[in-house]
Amino acid sequence: MLSRIADSLFWLNRYMERADGMLRLAATHYIFSLDKDAIRSMTWMPVMEIFTDSEEEYLKSIENNTEACLKRLLIDTTNTNCLKTLVNRARENARGAQDHITKEVWEEVNQMYHLVNQPALQQKIDSFLSLEVMEPFIKHTVMYAGITDITMPRGTGWCFMNLGKYIERCLQTIAFAEKQLELTNFREADTNDLLQWKYLLFSLSGYELHVKTYRSSNHNYNVLHQVLINENFPRSVTYSLQRIEHYLNKVIGNNISEERSALLRCFGRLFSKVRYMELDSLNKDTVPAFFEDIKTDLVDFNQKVVQHFFSYS
Amino acid sequence: MDPQGLLDIYTGDPGFWDEMRIGSEFREPYRNVVHALKLLDVQSLQQKEKLASELFMNQGITFTVYNDDAGIERIFPFDIIPRVLTGDEWKIIEDGLKQRLKALNLFLKDVYSEQQIIQDKIIPAELIASCPHYMREVAGIQVAHDIYIHISGIDLIRGDNGIFYVLEDNLRTPSGVSYMLENREITKRLFPELVASSRVRRVSNYPLLLHEILLSLSPAQISNPNVALLTPGIYNSAYYEHTFLARQMGIPLVEGRDLVVDNHKVYMKTTQGLEQVHVIYRRVDDDFLDPLIFRPDSALGVPGLIAAYRKGTVAIVNAVGNGVADDKAIYAFVPAMIRYYLNEEPLLPNVETYEMSNPDTRQYVFDNLSRMVIKRTNQSGGYGMVMGNKVTEEEWSKAKKEIESDPRSFIAQPIINLSTAPCFIDGKFEGRHVDLRPYALCGPSGIQIVPGGLTRVALRKGSLIVNSSQGGGSKDTWVID
Repeated sequence: MLSRIADSLFWLNRYMERADGMLRLAATHYIFSLDKDAIRSMTWMPVMEIFTDSEEEYLKSIENNTEACLKRLLIDTTNTNCLKTLVNRARENARGAQDHITKEVWEEVNQMYHLVNQPALQQKIDSFLSLEVMEPFIKHTVMYAGITDITMPRGTGWCFMNLGKYIERCLQTIAFAEKQLELTNFREADTNDLLQWKYLLFSLSGYELHVKTYRSSNHNYNVLHQVLINENFPRSVTYSLQRIEHYLNKVIGNNISEERSALLRCFGRLFSKVRYMELDSLNKDTVPAFFEDIKTDLVDFNQKVVQHFFSYS
Repeated sequence: MDPQGLLDIYTGDPGFWDEMRIGSEFREPYRNVVHALKLLDVQSLQQKEKLASELFMNQGITFTVYNDDAGIERIFPFDIIPRVLTGDEWKIIEDGLKQRLKALNLFLKDVYSEQQIIQDKIIPAELIASCPHYMREVAGIQVAHDIYIHISGIDLIRGDNGIFYVLEDNLRTPSGVSYMLENREITKRLFPELVASSRVRRVSNYPLLLHEILLSLSPAQISNPNVALLTPGIYNSAYYEHTFLARQMGIPLVEGRDLVVDNHKVYMKTTQGLEQVHVIYRRVDDDFLDPLIFRPDSALGVPGLIAAYRKGTVAIVNAVGNGVADDKAIYAFVPAMIRYYLNEEPLLPNVETYEMSNPDTRQYVFDNLSRMVIKRTNQSGGYGMVMGNKVTEEEWSKAKKEIESDPRSFIAQPIINLSTAPCFIDGKFEGRHVDLRPYALCGPSGIQIVPGGLTRVALRKGSLIVNSSQGGGSKDTWVID
C-alpha cells in the first residue's frame, strides 16, 4: 500500500474518531448544563480547553455562553478542531484515498460533508436547537463506524485505519479523564459521590457499564479502573492499547527490521506501564503524573508510526 | 400538460438537424424513447431528474470550484433524455475514427523520428517548429508497439445536413469517460424498462479494455506488472474520474510525490518499502511530468521520469508529446496525413479551417467575421474562443490585436450549426445543441471504440459551446441495433 494512502486512511479515521468524541462530550455537556442543580458550574471551559486552541482570555469571555461555545466547537473554522474542519479534513483524506475505501464509506463521509456545510446550522444553534444539530452528526459518526466495519476489506488499509482510530480514542479518553480529575481534584472525601464522575462516564458512553459492573462505593477507584484497565469498556485505555497492539503486529507482520522492532519496543514499554500498573498506588498526587506519562509515550509512539510508515513527501 | 402534448409541441429548431424530430415525425431510432416518455407525466419526469442529481451528488460525482478555502461542489449537469444513434451511424463514426487515429499515430511516430512528412512537404516545418506541444525532449524515444495514442476522445459534431464532422482531436489526456459510464448507470436506474427493451450496446467494459491495454504495454517480461494512474491530486477538476478509473481497474492511484526514480527505474513509496512501477497512465500534462526536463516549478511530476521513459523501463500512456498532433493548426492537415500515410480518402470530414498566419485568409476571416469562430490553437475547454456572431465591438478590437500580434496561435472555422437534441428543461422539452465524444482505445491488437461516448449539451438556449467549464452538461448516449 502506498504510504500516502496509509497516511490518508490513518487520518481519515483519526478525524472521524475525534469528531465522534467531541460531539459526545459537547452533547453531554450541553444536556448537563441545562440541569439546574448540576454539580459543576455552567462553564464550558473544560470542553473548550480540550477541543479549541483559543486564548484563555477569549475563552473566559465566552465560557458561560452556550451558543458562542457551540459555534466555536461546531462551525467556527478559525478553530482547527471544530466539527466542520474535522469533517472537511476527513473528507479530504477520504478523497485522496478514494480508490481504497469502499463506495459506501465514501458516500457516508461525503454526506456528512454536505451536512456540515449547510448554512442552516448556524441558525439552529442560535435558536436553541443545538441538540438537533449535534444528534444527526452523532448518528452519522456511528453509521460511519458501522459502515467501515461492514464493508471495508481487512487488509493493510484497515489496519492503518484502526491504528488511527484507537490512538485517537486512547488520547481522548486520557484527555477527558485528566480534565475531570483536574476539576474534582480527586477529592477523596467525596469518594462516595458518583455524581462528580457521571459527566465523564456519560461523555465516554460508559455510565451504563459502570453501574452494572461496579458495586463497591469507592467511586474514584472504580472510575479509574474502568477508564484505565477495564477490558470490556471499549473506550478504556487498555482496550484501545490492545487494539493498537493487534493492528500494529498485523502491519509489521513477519518482516521485522531494526526500525520495526524499535517501534514494537516503544509500544511494548507504553503498554506495560498500563498493564502492570498498581491501581492502589494512584492517588491525588500520583495520578496526574501517571496520565501525563502515558500520554507522552503515546504521542511519541504515534510519531514513530508516522515516521516509519508515512514518510513519502 | 401531459408529456404527449409536450412531445408534440417539441419541434426542434428550424435550420438545425434535430436528433429526434424530422418535420412532424419522430425519427425511427427514437421510437422507443418517445413511447416511454409518453407514458410518464411531467411530475414523474421531474422526480427522475431530481433522483439523478441526488445520485450524482451523493456519490461525489462532482467537480470542485475553489475560492478561498471553501470548495464549492458542482455536479456536471445531466439531462435525463438519452441521445440515440443507430448501428449504421455508429459504423460510419467507428470506421472514420479508426482511420483517423491510424494516420495520427503514424504521424506522431514520423514527427518524432524521420520527419518524412515534412521532407515531402505535406506539412510545413515551421508549423511543427512553432507548435508549443512539440516536445524535442522526447524525439527518438522508442515507445512500446509504436503506439502513441492509446486513449483518445475525438470530438464530433453533426451539421445541419446530418453529416458528422471531426471538430477536434483530443490525444493528450481526454477526460469525461467516467461520465459516459456513470450516465449509463444512472439511466439504468431512471428508465430500467426502456433501457432493457431498446437493445442498447454495452459501454461498461471500457475499464477492462483499458486495463488490458495498460498491462500489455509493460516493458519488462514479467507476469504481473505494476500499473498506476498518475493524478495531479484531489484539487484537480477531473479527480473524480481518476479515482473512478483506478477503482474500476483495480490499480493504485498515485500522485507525483508517491513516486521516485532510482537508477532509471520508477518506484512507488509503499508502507513495505519501494515497489517498481512498469506502466503509468498519467493524467498530468506533459509540461508537469518531469521538473528536470519540463517546467522546473512542477510539484506534480516525478524528477527523472523522462530519463526512465527514454531507457524504456516504464511506459507512459498516452505518449509524451502527443500535443503536436491535436494542435488546432495541425488539425487542418489531418486529411492530408490520411492520404499521405494510408493512401485513403478521409471517411470523416474536417470542419473547414483557416490558418490565421496567412495574411490573405486572415483578411478573409476578418471580412466574414459574423460567420466565423476563432479559436486558440493550444487551448481546450472552450477558453479563448471568439464567436463571430456574438462578439461585442470592444471584445473584438482586443481580440483582433492579439490575433495580429501572434497569428500562429489562432485558427478560424465557419460556425457550424450543431445538431440539436431534446432536453428536459424546466418541465418542458427543449432543443439544445449537442456534440459527441466517443472514446477510442488503441492497443497492440488494434483500435477499439466502445459504442457510445459522451454527448455534451450546451444547456444555455441557442449556445453552441458545450464545454463543461462553460455551462455545458451531458447526456447518456445509446447506440442501438
